[in-house]
Amino acid sequence: MKNLLFTLGLVAAACALSFGVFYAVNREPAAVQQALRAGDAMAWLRTEFQLNNAQFAAIQQLHEAYGEKCTEHCAAIMAAQKRAAPSAEIAALEKTCVDAMAVHFKHVAALMPAGQGERYLAIVLPRVADYDHRGAPNVQVHH
Amino acid sequence: MSSRKFTETLSHTLADWRVTPQRNPRFRTAVWARLEADRRPPTWAGYARAHRAIVAAALMAAVVLGAFTGRERARERDAAARAALVADYVHGLDARWMRHP
Repeated sequence: MKNLLFTLGLVAAACALSFGVFYAVNREPAAVQQALRAGDAMAWLRTEFQLNNAQFAAIQQLHEAYGEKCTEHCAAIMAAQKRAAPSAEIAALEKTCVDAMAVHFKHVAALMPAGQGERYLAIVLPRVADYDHRGAPNVQVHH
Repeated sequence: MSSRKFTETLSHTLADWRVTPQRNPRFRTAVWARLEADRRPPTWAGYARAHRAIVAAALMAAVVLGAFTGRERARERDAAARAALVADYVHGLDARWMRHP
């Protein structure tokens, strides 16, 4: 009985050790993990898509420039809602916003290293359609 | 030497032959020690040797299970964190989300 229990303990220990090793080996690199934990989108972009300093600076600049455009779109949509504009008008404003976003993401992708841009677009573009009126975001994009 | 004479000589030799082995004073103790050892529960090494197939299979299964679940858990965790960050990133650039404070 003692030997059986010891064997079961050994089996459990082997399972736990194997879990720990494979868990650690299969995690993202530390820098990506840190960005994910901090919810820092720009740090995530830098590490996930292996941006060099020049690429990162250019993308940061693009984001800042797009932030102003985004604010304008936001103001236009809010104004249209405030004056109870026809839904077609609001839909048109939203389409303008979506199109601008897609163009922005493509510009960002173009600044990324070869192969990374396609991966970036594959990750972000499906999210543009993920709009379900659940609430406002909280993101560290604009620095 | 005839066969009969040889047989007689051999019979005499065997009849006269006496074996006087040396006494081993520890013989009895050693026998009891072995009996006691058999009565005691086996060591884990002995137990594992006796059930080597089951023990090896259980250890192998545990390692495979641990590896699979460890890998999946790591991937799930990173994927969830990534999905949340990407959603925030995209929504942060989406004017449609900004009108919902």
